[in-house]
Amino acid sequence: MEHATAVTGNLETSTGIDNKKLLMWLFLGSECLFFGSLIAAYLLYRDRSITGPYPSDLFDIPFTSVSAFVLLMSSVSMVLALAAIQRGNIRSMQVWLFTTAILGVLFVSGQAYEFTVFHREGLSLSQNLFGTTFFVLTGFHGAHVTVGILILLSLFAMSLRGKLTQEKSLNVELAGLYWHFVDIVWIVIFALIYLIQP
Amino acid sequence: MKRFLGPRSIRAHHVVTALVLLGLLALLLTGCATNTSQNTFDARGEVAKEQRDLFYMAMWPAIVVMVFVLAGLVVTLLRFRRRSPDELPKQVHGNNRLEIAWTIAPVIILMILAVPTVSAIFDLGRKPRSDALAVHVTGIQWAWQFEYSDITDSGGQPLSSLGDLHIPVGREIGLTITSKDVNHSFWVPKLAGKLDAIPGNTNVMWLKADEPGSFSGQCAEFCGLGHAGMKLTVIAQSQEDFDAWIKEKGGSPSGGQGASPTPTGGPGGR
Amino acid sequence: MAAITQPGRGTLGEALAGVRKAADSHYGILSWIATVDHKRIGIMYGVTAFVFFLFGGIEALFIRLQLAVPNGGVVDADQYNRIFTMHGTTMVFLVVMPLSAAFFNLMVPLLIGARDVAFPRMNAFSFWVFLAGGLFLNASFFTGDILNGELGAPDAGWFGYAPLTLKQFSPGHGLDFWAFGLLILGVSSMAAGFNFIVTILNMRAPGMTLFRMPLFVWMTLVTSFLIIFAMPVITVALFELLFDRLFDANFFNPAAGGNPLLWQHMFWLFGHPEVYILILPAMGIVSEILPTFSRKPLFGYPFVVFSGVAIGFMSWGVWAHHMYTTGLGSVANSAFGISTILIGVPTGVKIFNWMATLWGGSISLRTPLYFSVGFVGMFTIGGLSGVTHSIVPSDYQQQDTYYVVAHFHYVLFGGAILALFGGIYYWFPKFTGKLLSDGWGQVHFWLMLLGFNLTFFPMHILGLLGMPRRIYTYSEGNGWDLWNLMATVGAFTIAFSVLVFMVNVIVSLRRGKLSGNDPWDGRTLEWAISSPPPAYNFAEIPRVHARDEFWHQKYTEDEQGLPVPVAAAAPAPEDGEHEGGHGIHMPSPSFFPLLAAIGFPLIGLGVIYDYAIAAVGAVVLVVGLYGWALEPATEE
Repeated sequence: MEHATAVTGNLETSTGIDNKKLLMWLFLGSECLFFGSLIAAYLLYRDRSITGPYPSDLFDIPFTSVSAFVLLMSSVSMVLALAAIQRGNIRSMQVWLFTTAILGVLFVSGQAYEFTVFHREGLSLSQNLFGTTFFVLTGFHGAHVTVGILILLSLFAMSLRGKLTQEKSLNVELAGLYWHFVDIVWIVIFALIYLIQP
Repeated sequence: MKRFLGPRSIRAHHVVTALVLLGLLALLLTGCATNTSQNTFDARGEVAKEQRDLFYMAMWPAIVVMVFVLAGLVVTLLRFRRRSPDELPKQVHGNNRLEIAWTIAPVIILMILAVPTVSAIFDLGRKPRSDALAVHVTGIQWAWQFEYSDITDSGGQPLSSLGDLHIPVGREIGLTITSKDVNHSFWVPKLAGKLDAIPGNTNVMWLKADEPGSFSGQCAEFCGLGHAGMKLTVIAQSQEDFDAWIKEKGGSPSGGQGASPTPTGGPGGR
Repeated sequence: MAAITQPGRGTLGEALAGVRKAADSHYGILSWIATVDHKRIGIMYGVTAFVFFLFGGIEALFIRLQLAVPNGGVVDADQYNRIFTMHGTTMVFLVVMPLSAAFFNLMVPLLIGARDVAFPRMNAFSFWVFLAGGLFLNASFFTGDILNGELGAPDAGWFGYAPLTLKQFSPGHGLDFWAFGLLILGVSSMAAGFNFIVTILNMRAPGMTLFRMPLFVWMTLVTSFLIIFAMPVITVALFELLFDRLFDANFFNPAAGGNPLLWQHMFWLFGHPEVYILILPAMGIVSEILPTFSRKPLFGYPFVVFSGVAIGFMSWGVWAHHMYTTGLGSVANSAFGISTILIGVPTGVKIFNWMATLWGGSISLRTPLYFSVGFVGMFTIGGLSGVTHSIVPSDYQQQDTYYVVAHFHYVLFGGAILALFGGIYYWFPKFTGKLLSDGWGQVHFWLMLLGFNLTFFPMHILGLLGMPRRIYTYSEGNGWDLWNLMATVGAFTIAFSVLVFMVNVIVSLRRGKLSGNDPWDGRTLEWAISSPPPAYNFAEIPRVHARDEFWHQKYTEDEQGLPVPVAAAAPAPEDGEHEGGHGIHMPSPSFFPLLAAIGFPLIGLGVIYDYAIAAVGAVVLVVGLYGWALEPATEE
């Protein structure tokens, strides 16, 4: 500890957790409050729209189930990517990282498609409470997934240039934590908003 | 500066501050006696009286604690001020029994205050009685509109007025409050505490004037440019004067229910 | 950045190398712009916050001038509404929070025996984003026809209740600036919150267990947790408001079934933890000053810690006490009434512990002590009026009146601001090497105490006499005239005391008495090193054996518990290997945090005026973030 500098990295920390990992956990904790507030707004306004279209008119549960499954599978590939780099298998990690990103893109495309269908059916931000709360909640979630995809692709690009080595596996772990969180939020949204209808 | 602020004149500074604070306290008490138009101490209605009494219940202990803490600080500074540069006092770290005592004692005192508080919340928050005079209050930028649900005017519409609310003395009034635009708050301090007027919501309260008079109030929720001028007056009149006022406005009670007073059976119902 | 600053890469490379060299040199403005040193960032936070304090203070003087007499004609209703909105918003978000952040920055690494915070560049980022947000918010003044007295600033109060804030009731851009400005400031606060939690949990010197940390560090920790959990709630509320205003969403639109109360619930769910964010750091400062100036340890340290933690938890359960008159119903009002009554208990525990710290001590009557004692007294008064608010039915009279204004100014000014000034007088010598004049400090204190009480004590009376808040004028015949005039006189007295302070700072910076390492016979680690400290803080990371470690290096205790000076007590010995800081690698300066920060106000302006600007802002932000991520933290 005599040589401790303020540089992050493989330092001894008082808790034993790496600084960046602790930061990511704290960030995800705050994101719980962020998404919690959005979900609360949706739930408080559920069934209070004065005009339609209403959720029962629009939701296509089979379709959304498939896209939820896609996102779930992307978490699996993320786990495989981390396992690969922790073993030192860069090639395998690249494959799984790219897969995760592609699955994420698939998910976001599914969301975009769903949005256009709903919009064609008359749902917009200004149409009613359902449109307002639904688009803002799922829109922010989609934005979070998109940021995640950009992070994954950045890591992928770094690894192509040989900059993402086994010693730097923490970065993949951090991306993984973020990605899994975004996935869990989707599971909550899917359950509360799509599946559980009063 | 050092000489000016030597040990003796420190005392003077403390005394001056204490006097200023006590003086302000005394002035506070004179505020109670002033007969000003929106004085919450000059309660003229049952609701305002209950609220004022609860305030006294909290205010006096609060003043006692304030004096104790301020005096305690002054005494401590005077008694333990450093007299020589190498004074090193005993390094006391704490006292667990004291900690428990000064945690539990405030909890007990506060829970004692909580009992009449909760009781009053429910009493004042109850729905108006079924024989109360029903009035709809609507806040609109920047005036107050009143509508008597059970009294119609010559055109068959509910009798309404703007800015002035006439009520009979001694009778319970049931107010249903909402807004047409932004948030407002209905407040006539001498009769009752306030209740917000929120668009899309209705809030209900009861109040009663114990004596005739003109009681002023104003909007108490910031509502834009005209907020400062959004005033109202409650005019509490004897039943005869109130009936005369209704007749003057061309009104007559619908169904015969509203105008005739039901005896309220005196104060009580707490 | 190293790659593009290699000399010989052409004029761009040479220019960048020159800038880089200036930034590394520790001198000149470029070195300040690129600094990642927590001490410099702390000073920048403090100076910027103080300038905003002057803005907010001038806004207050306008308010008091307008209300000095009935039917005042200094400003009209429109101008008044904008001025009081900016006064509140400024004081909360641009003064008290950043002044606390200044102290977190200056003190936390020193108090825990670290060389810097966990994420130095994110620390710089927090500051630049704060500056950007503050400038963005104040830029709104100029969006109206200002030369004709038309101010473009937001005008719906610092609390911005819907639906007044919706487009149909507040056309014009003021509220867009307000919402976006607060979003930007939220980013700054959150980044700082994360940084300090990681720093405190992970970077304490060996031997410094959590219960050996100075109390200010504990308060920073609790405050930081409150920040990272409360700010997301207001972030969502502000996005919802912006979507309603810009895209016709329906979150707060009653016509579509939206409930305006949703805004209030979200605002106060954030807002109540926010007021503890405002006061806990001040309580931490006082908890350092009182022991030092009494030469005794903080009485009941574990209980003061637990009280702070308890307040942090309980602060989430009281928010609707700001909404007693909105018609929540008797059950809700009772529940929040009881929780609010109870939250006074841990605060009371702290007050008793502070008094017990002084009792039996050897009290040095110097300016930092006066401000701290002033804090205890004035905060007690504010806390007591808070207790009267918790007696719910009497709050139906007090709510939205000057009684509330009195309450929160007693806790925020008489509380937070007095403590922050105490902290300035206390720690000024550590960072400048010079003492502020104690005599003039006491003049500042007494004038400020007198002016403060003259301004705000009458407001209790005004509220109880039925004067509502947020009214730009009032008529005669209400019995309010004398108290308002008194408050105005008090406000100018406060202003004068601030002038005294400013002159003290300027003169002392030039001609102040040299302080040496330890002018106050301090107890904590910062007093063990030079004033000002070297860039790397500690040549040798200290090993901590006890609470108040530095005091124990200077004194041992005899059998009666009386301190005995240790003969030839040597503070942190210089390690030959690290003498002069050789071999200690501090994080390199960086321009990327500033660059990223600039992105935010551009995005804001773009969303309000022209999406092309927003796109530019997004690009700037992304370039800044990527540069930051890819840049090595130190030059190896």
